[in-house]
Amino acid sequence: MSAPGGQLDDRAILDPAHAPPFPAAALTVLRDPQLRKNVAHATDVIQAKRALLVAEKTDWQELRSAASRIKEEALDHLGAYLKQFEERCTAAGGTVHWAADAAEARRIILEILREEKAEEVIKIKTMTSAEIQLNPFLEAAGIRAHETDLAEIILQLGKGEPSHIVVPALHVNRSQVREVFARRMGIEDLSDDPQALTAAARGFLRRKFLTVPMAISGANFLIAETGAVVVVESEGNGRMCLTLPRTLITLAGIEKVLPRFADLEVMLQLLARSATGERMNPYTSLWTGVRADDGPQRFHVVLLDNGRSSILARRTGRQTLKCIRCAACMNACPVYRQTGGHAYGSVYPGPIGAILTPQLEQMQHAQSLPYASSLCGACYEVCPVKINIPEVLLELRARVTDQERRQARRIFDPLYIGLRVANLLFSRAWLFHAAQWAGRIGLRFFTGKDGWIHRLPGVGAKWTQTRDLRGLPRQTFHAWWTGRRQAIGNRH
Amino acid sequence: MSGIIDSRERVLGRIRAAARNFAAADPQPAAKDAQELAGADAAIPRRYARSGRLSAEARMALMAERLREYGAEVAVCKPEELAAAITQQIAASGRRIFVAPPGIPVAWRVEVANKIKGFECSFDHGLQIGEIEQAEGVMTAAFCGIADSGTIVLHHSASEGRRMLTLLPDWHLCILKASQVVETLPEYFDRCPQPPALVTWISGPSATADIEMTRIQGVHGPRFLNVILADDRGKEPAVH
Ligand code: SF4
Repeated sequence: MSAPGGQLDDRAILDPAHAPPFPAAALTVLRDPQLRKNVAHATDVIQAKRALLVAEKTDWQELRSAASRIKEEALDHLGAYLKQFEERCTAAGGTVHWAADAAEARRIILEILREEKAEEVIKIKTMTSAEIQLNPFLEAAGIRAHETDLAEIILQLGKGEPSHIVVPALHVNRSQVREVFARRMGIEDLSDDPQALTAAARGFLRRKFLTVPMAISGANFLIAETGAVVVVESEGNGRMCLTLPRTLITLAGIEKVLPRFADLEVMLQLLARSATGERMNPYTSLWTGVRADDGPQRFHVVLLDNGRSSILARRTGRQTLKCIRCAACMNACPVYRQTGGHAYGSVYPGPIGAILTPQLEQMQHAQSLPYASSLCGACYEVCPVKINIPEVLLELRARVTDQERRQARRIFDPLYIGLRVANLLFSRAWLFHAAQWAGRIGLRFFTGKDGWIHRLPGVGAKWTQTRDLRGLPRQTFHAWWTGRRQAIGNRH
Repeated sequence: MSGIIDSRERVLGRIRAAARNFAAADPQPAAKDAQELAGADAAIPRRYARSGRLSAEARMALMAERLREYGAEVAVCKPEELAAAITQQIAASGRRIFVAPPGIPVAWRVEVANKIKGFECSFDHGLQIGEIEQAEGVMTAAFCGIADSGTIVLHHSASEGRRMLTLLPDWHLCILKASQVVETLPEYFDRCPQPPALVTWISGPSATADIEMTRIQGVHGPRFLNVILADDRGKEPAVH
């Protein structure tokens, strides 16, 4: 159990402005073996399924290249495509709103709900709504938001936070789910069989689907050419929300736009395989505005910026906006697989979170995240739209360093003093040689007979606490090379 | 609502400013409106498979295999046996109260009703949600089948029905003709010269793996999907 009292996890703070830095947050998780086991199991299963299906696709790399270019092209002309989307969606009977930031998006959504005199609203899983912290806001305004995705119900009823963008409750196991459902749905004799738990959720939500007249969704893609919206899902709760209510509100980041309907032929082949290891997810829905005899008769789209346009302005960083939120990068990430999602302090965890969150926060928060990586490149390799995540991580580290350097308190920071000294040494050959000579003599006192240094004093102890250090060799490479050249010269 | 109109300008202004960052180096500056974008997709490398390689027979077999992998039931029949195949599937399902979209041939209903006692089928000429929810099953046609992923595509025409029709009943019987089955996803897009306004891509019955990655079939959508593949090869392509 991750926490007593049936709370799935009451310690996670997914607001980058208030979350502790990554290393501190990760420590809590690393001490929770159950949680680590749950995360490892889930990511192993998805990775194995994904690997099989990617291997059978002989044109996988060509699909990735096409997807990457399609997204780049959409971003290059983002303004024009958004205007086209707005025009077509409006012509089809939809209403398009623009939100510069999270507060504005929340206000727009609340205004629509108030106009409709809504007391309740049903929701399809959307990370964007979690990004703008919509649910607590609506709650405070007296409107109950019901999540309908199985994982989201588990988290909402158990007061937990999402730890993955495709399988948000992957850190929770069946007995934890059973406990929450039994308590919150009032079912005494519920078993912990996933089949029974799923059936309980089905029964719990059926009435809501049939009676609540308002729904909120996210969007996987917006189609500029036609003004259509696409939602990809598995359970059918999405189709319920998109079809049965009277009014539908779709909240979408501005980067979700695709130029053409036919671009889906690439995206839909990549998304399900990367996300869940399926050839295709059970349900994908596309709709355009409103249709007289089918589905909601009032339809709103809220286009959300909230920091995205500032990412667009960065040469290296802008590729972050190509992301189609498949989560393959976190399943593959050796860091995420140890820590799970909560340590990232954001609704976007894993490698994509490590580059997206600090940029969305305009480098004001989450500065520890670009360091939450070994730079092994596994994320880049699996990314279906070829986002070079390590490259962006490095650029962000540089920006964090530049930021820190300007802070007065860094003048006496041992790390920065060390780096300034190193800078001096490395830029002058004679100083460098002198330092090597001094170092060899100095370290000789600490080097054991086996040629290893087992214990250092002062700051050096931080290293030797956890690992040994090899002693310096008697001769530097430089000295050896010079000696060798002279020896050869003498022979001739 | 003036604040919101300002936001539109603000967001678009920021996007324009971002594009200006690259304007000097970029031979193709950002387009201002959609007209300037005509032909933009020519630059996209489309070297992935855009057509299939299987024979018609192998394509049908693959479609059936993929559907079964998702847990769907598949029956194959000749076009003239269609009514009989439908009757058989419905009889075996044990379900009797049905709904169907208005474009489904009345003759099928008559044939099934003659053979199965207690069979009732309401055509959707504006049925209420409650009536659809009461139905035990639904019978529809489809626009297309994609063999590679075992996907059924509905464009929600008169024979495919409104979206809620194939959502609320627990059992979906879908009739697909071999001439409607393509091998790859891009071939489906080739069959849409005009982008459709309403689409549902269905790949197996609804499912979830949210609890410990155990795949559970049937969450909110129909728990059962039955597909009848009518082998109309060598005949006129299906008029849809
Ligand atoms: S960065 Fe790439 S791999 Fe990660 S979620 Fe986004 S699209 Fe998927």
